[in-house]
Amino acid sequence: MSHETNPLLIPLHVSYIQNLGKNKNDLIYHLTAHLRMNAIYWGLTALCTMNHREALDRDEMIDYVMSCWDEETGGFGAHPDHDAHILSTLSAIQILVTQDAIGRLDIDRVVKFILSLQQPSGVFAGDSFGEIDTRFSYIAVNALSLLGRLGDLDVEKTVSYIAQCRNFDGGFGSRIGAESHAGQVFVCCAALTILDRLDEIDTPTLSWWLAERQLPNGGLNGRPEKLEDVCYSFWVLASLSMLKKVHYIDSDKLISFILSAQDPEGGGIADRPGDMPDVFHTHFGIAGLSLLGYPGLVDIDPVYCMPAALIETLGLRKGWQSLERRMR
Amino acid sequence: MHGVRRARQTQEALEAKRLKDQSKLRDYLALSDDVLARKKQKDWSREALRATTQLLQVNPEFYTIWNYRRHILVNGIFPESTPEQIQDLLKDDLSLTMAALKIHPKVYWIWTHRGWCLNNVPSGPGVDGEGDPRGWEKELWNQELFVVEKLLDADPRNFHAWSYRRVVLASLPVSKPETSELAYTTRKIESNFSNFSAWHQRSKVLSSLWSTGRLDQTKSKEEEFDLVQNAMYTDPRDQSVWIYHRWLIGSEILDREIAVIQSLLEEETHSKWCMESLVHYKRLLLHNHAALVDKSALTRDCIHLLEQLRKVDPGRRARYDEIEITRL
Repeated sequence: MSHETNPLLIPLHVSYIQNLGKNKNDLIYHLTAHLRMNAIYWGLTALCTMNHREALDRDEMIDYVMSCWDEETGGFGAHPDHDAHILSTLSAIQILVTQDAIGRLDIDRVVKFILSLQQPSGVFAGDSFGEIDTRFSYIAVNALSLLGRLGDLDVEKTVSYIAQCRNFDGGFGSRIGAESHAGQVFVCCAALTILDRLDEIDTPTLSWWLAERQLPNGGLNGRPEKLEDVCYSFWVLASLSMLKKVHYIDSDKLISFILSAQDPEGGGIADRPGDMPDVFHTHFGIAGLSLLGYPGLVDIDPVYCMPAALIETLGLRKGWQSLERRMR
Repeated sequence: MHGVRRARQTQEALEAKRLKDQSKLRDYLALSDDVLARKKQKDWSREALRATTQLLQVNPEFYTIWNYRRHILVNGIFPESTPEQIQDLLKDDLSLTMAALKIHPKVYWIWTHRGWCLNNVPSGPGVDGEGDPRGWEKELWNQELFVVEKLLDADPRNFHAWSYRRVVLASLPVSKPETSELAYTTRKIESNFSNFSAWHQRSKVLSSLWSTGRLDQTKSKEEEFDLVQNAMYTDPRDQSVWIYHRWLIGSEILDREIAVIQSLLEEETHSKWCMESLVHYKRLLLHNHAALVDKSALTRDCIHLLEQLRKVDPGRRARYDEIEITRL
């Protein structure tokens, strides 16, 4: 690790996340309302990984989540009065599971909403307007698994669509025929992992492609010949964890890269050094550091992107491998 | 937030900006409250449509409002419009989304709305056997290919645009020959060898052209090797080229020889060497080219061949058992 880089500035990041909810006089706070549910999940999970879960008020958070439930469709919107979408529905479920408040949920209605989005081809749509993406397939699989309702899913159909998105480079795209992309690789690997269908993955080829995501500056990109970005730290590392190949990348260099993207004054982590931080990159940067065994952090489950101990308690842990926690 | 530089601002500067934003914030909240209130009342009037236009111009990421807009059009405005008027309304929405995409080329919801518009083009201008009833559809879809090319000129790696391009190509009322798509990827690659998105698209188009026999595979492959070698020598550090090269080499020799042996086995139905070699080469395909092959079909073939081998060559049945149990 280079000498100029700060260590992970945990207290600063905790207060950065706490302050996000207090900017209600800022225009940007309102312009990003459509991401609120996801943002709360990112913030909460980052806090759990830094062992500061109590930094945000639990009851207030649960009440907010429940205020976004759309009685009519059975799914969650991103904010009160926003339409239900599978993206915010997964975040809502993840928050409620993490806060041990799943009792608040009408599980049957939510399961029905999710299952209603599966298309004849096996892929899932994001909402009733029918945009399809392998991200939504992962979300459905993840959510149903957390709710203990995978038994209601047509697994063969789901797997078959994902398998058809596999490309010659071992990676996966958003749809049949689409280019491999590290984010889509993550969602497809994680869905197949949850469904115990890693046989659909060409492990040697995919681990080669993932290992080539690391650039000379230590950061990871999402596709060949693209720029590095902190968020890929999680998506690439999580995929490598599921394939048990995290050691294929240079972890010291990646740790330095993520740390160098911190805002040492205001807190938070950005996409790359010198840029504006946001809660999305803060969460995925810290999650990446956790998988790399960074000292002082709590283990994160790379499949569900939630605290590992919690997933283990639910009996959902799969056979992934991250790097051993460093002592310092 | 991606690629926004972090500028250290003084407390005073931040306060000044907040004050300046206050009136914008008030306007935005008033507009957003108004639109959401209309939505709740199922207001499907033209006035409501205008309000959504205004709101989406400020915040095109507000997915709920795109959804509401489609409800207004379908339930309130289309039913009282002539096909000509519907066509004009859809053109308005195409302009609205085009302006939004110029500023936000990676926002999923805008692309989704564009796709919806095109899927709702009415029949016309021809009616009752006079004129072309698919004329409008043809006009808009053809124009769409041009639009997507403009967006790929601005960012040749935009995976939303590539993905949308595949949708457009598949939806054109009069489909274009795949050879013209091959030529498009040639142009993109020649203007920048690092554009892996174009190499990826090329691999898909060529696979299709070869498998349907519309392009002579042997001759075409030679041309591809020329192109790739040229690119390799231009910049040997560029990984796009090496990844494509690996695809091109592929499994050609194995495929060819398996086909030869397979037809020999049809004549010499008890030939141990045909069967033994087929198992060997099919296993090579399975292990080294897993991403290119139908794994379950190959595994089934091998199991069937091993079963026959145990009959025609019982002295070595232990070896065949072991291959089946441990190394398929």
